Parts: sequence; structure tokens; C-alpha cells
Amino acid sequence: MTHSLRARLLVGIVGGMILLLTIFSLIIYTLTHRALISQLDSSLLSTARMLAASVEQDNNEIELGFEVQAMPEFQKAEHPTYCQLWRQDGTVVVRSPSLGADDLLHFEGSSAEPVFQKFKIKNGRPGRAVGFKFNPKIAENDGQNYQPQTTVQVLTLVVARDVGDLQHNLQLLRWLLLIASAGTVTLSFFVATFVVRQGLNPLNSLASEISAIKENNLTVRIVTASLPAEILPIKIRLNELLSRLECSFNRERRFTADVAHELRTPLAGLRSTIEVTLARTREADEYQAALSDCLTITENMQTMINNLLTLARIDANQMTFRCDQIRLAKLVNSSWHTFSHKALERGITFDNRIPAEMTCNSDSDSLSIVLSNLLANAAEYTNQDGQIWIEAHQANNRTEIAVANTGCRLTNDQGSHVFDRFWRGDSSRTDTGIHCGLGLALVERLVRALGGSITVELQNGGIFIIRLVLPA
Amino acid sequence: MGIQMRLLVIEDYRPLQQSLTKGLREAGFAVDTTGDGQEGLWYAMSNDYDVIILDLMLPRLDGLSILKQLRARGRQSHVLVLTAKDTLEDRVTGLDLGADDYLVKPFEFKELLARVRALLRRSYREKNPSIKLQDLQIDLTTQRVWRGREEIQLTPREYALLEYLAMRSGQTVSRTDIWEHVYEFNSSASSNVVDVYIGYLRRKIERSGKPPLIRTVRGRGYILGAQS
Repeated sequence: MTHSLRARLLVGIVGGMILLLTIFSLIIYTLTHRALISQLDSSLLSTARMLAASVEQDNNEIELGFEVQAMPEFQKAEHPTYCQLWRQDGTVVVRSPSLGADDLLHFEGSSAEPVFQKFKIKNGRPGRAVGFKFNPKIAENDGQNYQPQTTVQVLTLVVARDVGDLQHNLQLLRWLLLIASAGTVTLSFFVATFVVRQGLNPLNSLASEISAIKENNLTVRIVTASLPAEILPIKIRLNELLSRLECSFNRERRFTADVAHELRTPLAGLRSTIEVTLARTREADEYQAALSDCLTITENMQTMINNLLTLARIDANQMTFRCDQIRLAKLVNSSWHTFSHKALERGITFDNRIPAEMTCNSDSDSLSIVLSNLLANAAEYTNQDGQIWIEAHQANNRTEIAVANTGCRLTNDQGSHVFDRFWRGDSSRTDTGIHCGLGLALVERLVRALGGSITVELQNGGIFIIRLVLPA
Repeated sequence: MGIQMRLLVIEDYRPLQQSLTKGLREAGFAVDTTGDGQEGLWYAMSNDYDVIILDLMLPRLDGLSILKQLRARGRQSHVLVLTAKDTLEDRVTGLDLGADDYLVKPFEFKELLARVRALLRRSYREKNPSIKLQDLQIDLTTQRVWRGREEIQLTPREYALLEYLAMRSGQTVSRTDIWEHVYEFNSSASSNVVDVYIGYLRRKIERSGKPPLIRTVRGRGYILGAQS
């Protein structure tokens, strides 16, 4: 089957026309044929009955009440009627002049039922015959010559007629039907081609409009007016798809721009530190300081790239998680270790309120990343001499962990953005290169990948709480 | 240059801020530094800087706002914008708001220096439209040179060399300084080309019977300006 909609429609329409016309033609032909034959048959039968009614038996003699030789339809002519009458012993009583010396077919059959039959006349022309047996009437002769022993004879009468004309008419009808059908099919082909083309026009204009949409210009929408009801949903769905595509393209573009910014700034720092240092010969301690600066920058860049990669892996469903029995309090303490020194310098107190024996079934590497990022965030944004505490509760096969810190300056509106990639409470990005706003985004994605949920709560007095609920 | 040029660096990323400050100071400029937008604006308003190197993303007050306010208050300091954003709109916005130049991070420090010097020359020309050394007169805006009443035709390289020497007149300028600082010589393979051009320049501007304008300081470089 071809893949063109137009060809399919055409084949369907024209094929259907052919089928219907064939069926109708056959019905018309059959009905006409039957009507004509039955008309012919009844005419034959009435002729035959009239003939039979006029045959009389006088003793053993058969007398005809009609003069076959004289009746015009039995004469030799273009399309004559034939008749022949036999006695029981097969001898011919009478034969119509139209037969000449030939015989008609001798029918055998019961007397009651007339039998119709096709036959070929001597010259090969088609004919139709009716034949039946009958008893002639006994002639009434005042009883003088009446011989009671006389048996009533059984005679066979066959009347036939040439049906050449009928066949000819039927043939004419056949041709007529064939030509009419062929003409109708041809015409319908052209009409259907035109109609289908007209009907598919909106699809063509839709297609050309779609092909004009380029990947770098997703702001355009399909505007073709007056689309038929069947195609309108396609237009609407396509426009919706375009909107979604545009959204995600924009998000992607913003993300790429953010990544570029976050990588370019530390790279600029790295480059100018190296270039300025190399510009002249320096003392060893100057080189040492510069190298140590470069190392810090590199470490920060590495952390950021790792975060980006982890995020990309979660997005692509490429993370594999292994369930371990994790001692929460212990994991929290080891995660805090990294930040404890800096926090201590700023007078921040850290309180791990998780019971020592509490365990949780989760992927320990992922949970460790989650806790490290949450604690890093807390350590970074807690005020001087502030507090950080962490709590955990278990109920209904779920573990809820809450990380809280003081000194939060975010508004409720800002709070809803903390999980956005590259978002920072301080829009100025004070800590470019150190905190690029990926940590909490990563935490959120990881927690969801682990089958949990995460929420932010801002309480009076600048208390910032992140709650995660994990399957125990 | 005769007087020391003053620069302001407003950049919040510490490693970049520190290396810029250090590199620019080592290149002979007086540099003030801040990582805060608000503070940066205050510095820029209270001092007459020749060039301000301005990052766009800053805490408290972003770079474009600083630029807008500076121009609104009539400050004419030349501003070189540093940014990690490199889309055309970003550049156009910056330049429309009155930035004089634009550099996308990461950049080559030498290029930054070259652009800062170009801005300084502009700034110098605006403050000193012409330099006069004895009867040698240099018009910095039209780039024409006269000795007495006679105009001297110089090639672009010769003019650039003379202008640089004139801006630092009275100071010893080393061959390497010229090679590195005069943009027209940057593409040359070695600093020897400087000597060749000093020769050309001498032939064109020196007059017999008058004390030489360009003097050689053996092993150190050249000084423009007659011995007083």
C-alpha cells in the first residue's frame, strides 16, 4: 500500500465505486434477465396450453382443432415459433412448418408440470422450449362410433421459440451497463482527484508552515487560519509542543550561559594569577602563594564540575543506587568534619541531635553528598556566632531529617528558589567561583532520585530549615 | 608618563581582583581595589580615576548600575568592562551605558594592559591635547608633529614611538618597555626593531646645531627631552 494519503483516498474511492457499480450492474442484469425469461416462458406456456386444449381424440385418431400449417407464427420466418406433437409411441402427430423436416427435442416428464428448457435450433441459434404431456379430450360423436375399449392416449407437446432477439437485447444491456460503469468510474476518478487535492490543501499549507520553523527560531507559531476541524487539533498540539520546546530551549540556553559564566570567572582568575606571576622573576614564597591560590581555584572548579556532572547523570537516569544500612549520626559527623574548622572560627555551634543508634536504608554515597551540601550551605550562611542543628525522626517506614541554621536573610519568595540551579540568595553572586548555586539543586535532585522529598521552611528569627523525607 | 596614572579595579572574585591589582601595580599604575559595588561607586565618585576596570556582577550594586550612575553624575573616567557574559546584547548594553571598552573573561593579562594603556592615552590626550618639548610640538588629537614651524611626516609606528616617549618624557624608557607597551611594536619578533625605529625617528626630528631630543642611556634605554 502506498504511503501517500492522496493515493490511498483515491484508491479507496475509485475501488469502492468499481465494487458498487459491479454489484448494482449484476443485480440489474439478473433481474432484467429473469423478467424477460419469465415473460417469454409464460407466453410459450399459454401458446402450448391453447394448442393442447384444441387436441381431441376420436377413437384412436388424434384430431387437431387448429390448423398448424395455417397459423402465421408457425410459418417459416425470421424468428418463428416451433411446435411438435408426439404420440406415446414416439410417432409424430404434427410438426409446425417452421421446423421443416427437423425435430424438436422430445421432452420426457410428468404430465402435470411443464418443463422449460434451453436448446439450440438447427441453425445454432439459441431457443427456449416448453414441453409437457397431456391427455387429449375425447371427441363426442353422439355415441355412435363410441368404442368403450378405446384408451385415452398420452401426447407430448413441445412449443419452442427463437430467443435470439432476447439474447441480443440482454447483450445490449450488458454493454450498456459496462460502458456506463466504466464512464462513471473514470469520471469519479477525476472528481475524486480534484476533491482529494482540495481536501488535502490545508495539510500542505500546514506542512509548509511547519517546515519554515527552524530550531533557532522557536518563537513562531502555526497561524494558518480556517483549518478544518480534523486538522485543527494537530495545529493546537503542534503549537503546544513548540511552546514546550521553546521553554526547554530557553532553560537550556540559560543553563549553558550560567555554566559559561561560572566557569569563565574562575578561569579568568586562574589565568591572570598565572600570567601576572610569570611576568617577572619572583621570590619562592610569591610563587608558592600564587600556586596555592591556583590550587584553591582549581579545587572549586572541580567541585562545580563534579556537581554539574552528577546533576547531568541524575537527569539522564544514569545513577545507580545501592541500599546500605546507614548510621545517620555517624554519617552526619563525618560530613560536618570538613566544615567544622571554619565554622569554629566564626563561632558557630553545631548540634547533631540524631540518636546514635538510628539507622536508615539508603545509598550511602548519595546521602553523604546530600548531607555535605546541606551542611556546607548551612555553614556558609549562618551568622557569626550562630547555630546549626540537625534532627531526625522515624515513623511509618520513613525517615525525616531536618537541617536548620540561624542567620537566614532570605524572604519567603526567595526561599522557593533555593533549589534552582545557579540561584543564589545574594543576586550579586558574591562568592563566584566558590558557591555557584548548584549545591542545593543537586541535593534536591538526589533526594528525589532516592525516592524522597525535600522542603524549605523559613521561621521567624532568621531560622532556615531544610527537611528531607526519605524512605527508611 | 609624567604623572602616575590612577586606576580603580571593581571586581568581586578575589583571585582575579588580587592578580589584577598586583599586575597593574607592577605595570606602574596606582591601583585602588574593591569587591563591592556600592563601595566601588563611592570610590569612583570621590576620586578622579583615569581608568576604571569594572566587573558587571557585583554584590550590592551591579556594574551596569555603577556605570549609569557615574555617567549620570558626569564622571568622565574611562571604563573598561570585564564580564563573563559574551552575548551581543550584553556588549551593546554595556557600551550604550557609556563603557569605553569591553573584555570577556577569561582574557590575556597583556591584552588587558594594552587596552588600559589605550584608554590612558585617550585620557591623557583629553587632558593634554598637545605636548611641547623645546620647539618640538606633538598634537595628540590630530597626531601631527612639528619641529619649529616645519611639520614632520611620520609613519604610524614612528608616531606611536614618539608619542610613548613623549608621554614618559624625562624618564628612562627601556627597549623592552617600548616593545611591550607600544601596540605597533607588539607583533615584532624582537625588541631590536625598536633601535631601528629610534634611528628613523632621530633622522626625522633631530636638527643639527640643536641639542638632541632623544638621548641614549647606555644599557638602560632612551630618554626624550633635552638635558636640562
